[in-house]
Amino acid sequence: MHGHNTAEFLDGVSGFIGCFYLSLAAMNATAALYLWQTGKARSYFKVAGLTITTAHLWLAVALIFTVMGGIALGGMAGLLSLPIGLRAALDNIMGPMTYTLGSLVILTVLYLGRSFFVKPIVAWAGLNLSLLFMGLSLTDYDFAQIVTKPDNVPIVAMVYLLAYFTWLSAYRAVENDKRIANGQGPLESEDDEKILVWPDLVYTELICMIVLTVVLLVWAVALQAPLEEPASAVKTPNPSKAPWYFLGLQEMLVYYDPWMAGVVLPSMVVFGLMAIPYIDFNKAGNGYYTINERKFAYLTFQFGFLVLWVTLIVMGTFLRGPNWNFFGFYETWDAHKVEALNNVDLSEYFWVRIFGVGRPQAPEGAGTLQSIGWILVRESPGIVCLIGYFAFLPPAMVLYSKFFRKMFIQMGFLRFMVLSNLILMMALLPIKMLARWSSLNMKYFISIPEYFLNF
Amino acid sequence: MAKKDKMSVEEMLAAARASDGGGKGADSPAAAGDATESAPEATPAAAAEQPATPPAKKASAMSVEEMLAAARAEKKGGAAPSKPAPAASAPAADAPQKKPGQMSVEEMLAAARGEKKGAAAPAKPAAKAAPKPAAAKAAAKKGPAKKGPAKEAGPKDTASILAAARSASKPGPISKAEAAAQGKTLPAGKKKLEVPPMPAKPGYAKAPATAGANAERRGFLAVTLASIGVYMGSALGIGFGTIIATNLLWLLGLARYMFPNILTEPPTRFKVGFPDELAPGQVATKFKAQFGVWIVRDEYDGAPQIFALQSVCTHLGCTPNWLEGEQKFKCPCHGSGFYKDGINFEGPAPRPLERFAIRIADDGQLEVDKSRTYKEEIGQWSDTASYVPV
Repeated sequence: MHGHNTAEFLDGVSGFIGCFYLSLAAMNATAALYLWQTGKARSYFKVAGLTITTAHLWLAVALIFTVMGGIALGGMAGLLSLPIGLRAALDNIMGPMTYTLGSLVILTVLYLGRSFFVKPIVAWAGLNLSLLFMGLSLTDYDFAQIVTKPDNVPIVAMVYLLAYFTWLSAYRAVENDKRIANGQGPLESEDDEKILVWPDLVYTELICMIVLTVVLLVWAVALQAPLEEPASAVKTPNPSKAPWYFLGLQEMLVYYDPWMAGVVLPSMVVFGLMAIPYIDFNKAGNGYYTINERKFAYLTFQFGFLVLWVTLIVMGTFLRGPNWNFFGFYETWDAHKVEALNNVDLSEYFWVRIFGVGRPQAPEGAGTLQSIGWILVRESPGIVCLIGYFAFLPPAMVLYSKFFRKMFIQMGFLRFMVLSNLILMMALLPIKMLARWSSLNMKYFISIPEYFLNF
Repeated sequence: MAKKDKMSVEEMLAAARASDGGGKGADSPAAAGDATESAPEATPAAAAEQPATPPAKKASAMSVEEMLAAARAEKKGGAAPSKPAPAASAPAADAPQKKPGQMSVEEMLAAARGEKKGAAAPAKPAAKAAPKPAAAKAAAKKGPAKKGPAKEAGPKDTASILAAARSASKPGPISKAEAAAQGKTLPAGKKKLEVPPMPAKPGYAKAPATAGANAERRGFLAVTLASIGVYMGSALGIGFGTIIATNLLWLLGLARYMFPNILTEPPTRFKVGFPDELAPGQVATKFKAQFGVWIVRDEYDGAPQIFALQSVCTHLGCTPNWLEGEQKFKCPCHGSGFYKDGINFEGPAPRPLERFAIRIADDGQLEVDKSRTYKEEIGQWSDTASYVPV
């Protein structure tokens, strides 16, 4: 915490935090009113003759938020923060591995317990909790610095927007799956009445247009344009970040050579998405939401999108600081943070650490072909691994997995090979990330810097 | 005749011809009026002689031959009554007046002569002889539904009647095949142009005689030179010549532009001070902002030396920073790290930083040459031009 006064910072931020809590209170009060008015409130138990319903619950939450807003506006925002010990503990356990695996675990839990988590009351509670976490964290200087940076505000909004849409689709899918299990058709088949482009669609579009324009105007007026110092060829900003939508790519570049992370893998993403109509033989889910009828497709897509793209964007935005070091939520972005990142190539592990000999090297004065041969010998462990990965895993999948065998029979050789290779390509990134983060500290499986070929 | 208003021109004509053929129409003002209105050929005589002529409809559709034939018929008509003759010939003369281009003087004369000679050939009996066939023919030909006799004679189906009427009385020009089918000669359209004989080939266009080939060549050269001279002297030549000259000058200027007198960029060869200004293990960062280079005094392979490291990350080309506290170069983009001697050790950078050529200049200062680089991974750092031993 250099260069700032905690009390001054809290004074400056308390107004915003107070308004934040008050708007949360308004949000919950509106929900309570809606539930009460529409009669959708569910009753839980009776206390002294009064039936307690969900409307009462959210009304109580709104009252709590109102009190919190009052406290913050009264200049005591410091009270409303997470304990320092908890923050330090969170920072300590946080790291690239914890973050990514943690996201994966959370998403898996959400997926497995989807019939519980998609319930509106549960989802609403989750929204309140996450917003409460944001509010409590905003009193932390470092957290506030990063989250309220004009560059990053839209990304916070994007996270919530994405969560909402993921919830919405999962909610409808769970509902449909229940109906299908009961022998009814999906909900969409009952409400398949055709509606008119004009006025139904055009009106919606018009309203969306107006709302979007208003949002853009407010955004442009409220948030400063994130301008930086004049560009210089010999000075790179620290940290130097890509546009937010490319932060996943930038994170990929940490693990792979530019040609791989910047060209091959993004192209595979594009080609893989284009190939979906040819690969996907499952006709179910056409025109309605469902998860149970197409689990493989759902999981593959959500893994590729949520884990390998969105969480990497969030990580690149909020957790990567100067020198592209990893920083926890409440950690100061210190340009001199020292991280042990002594990365080692696979060939060095193989020749030096296992066999105790030097890496094979072309003798002095060797010709070009001869030295290429020596390089191939030197990198043979990585090359063998790569060939084995792509040549033996697809047949192994067919031989040892009942699921993939069934798929192979249904898809035929060519389509199955395309699918399995795309999946293996996708898996390359997490494999390399784990190899880098684990105590292996793997730098490159195949390292041929002489010809700019590293993998 | 009762439905005269609704009848088409053809029908009226047919009716008129029929009545003429019937003999009563010669004096009848109605028939004469009809004839004048629609077709000059509808004279009684013509009607008698050529009842089957299909073109007998409109003046405009009538060819000169037909008019002539009509006139001739009048002529031959001989003892046509004097009264109908002028009445009939009047339209015949009228038509040519409408389209004078189609009638030659002779024809007009012939028509006039025909009138004059008018003679005493009684057209009446001749016409009377075939009153019914003419009427029948006209009915069969025109046969539109509106006409009573046609209704009786022709088929009952409207479409076929119409088709028959159309095919028989098709106005406008007809093809040769149609004309042949109808046994009629087509009017000779335009007069054939008389093509004058081609002039004799000029000498230069004739095939060259093998004997005088040399002379021909000389002639050709002369002609070519002359035409070039004429061309160069012409306005076109001057215009294009100016454009080419201007463009050439512009290109030369562009080439000159590539070698400016003053370079605002720092020179690729520059001096960075004396070797003893650097303490052992020091990294001089003061040249980074201007030249993109660190001057390092360190050891490589156990040999103390001074070298110039390029401040460009070997991963993706960002500019790393020298962190004095951590004694390493660190890239802000993807976290690549390099030791003081430029060897990569952390992050994704696949190879060490590159060295620039460095030497001791004549005045004893270090001089860096950015035009040559040395890469460690291909063993170039052992090149003596890549370092200065201390």
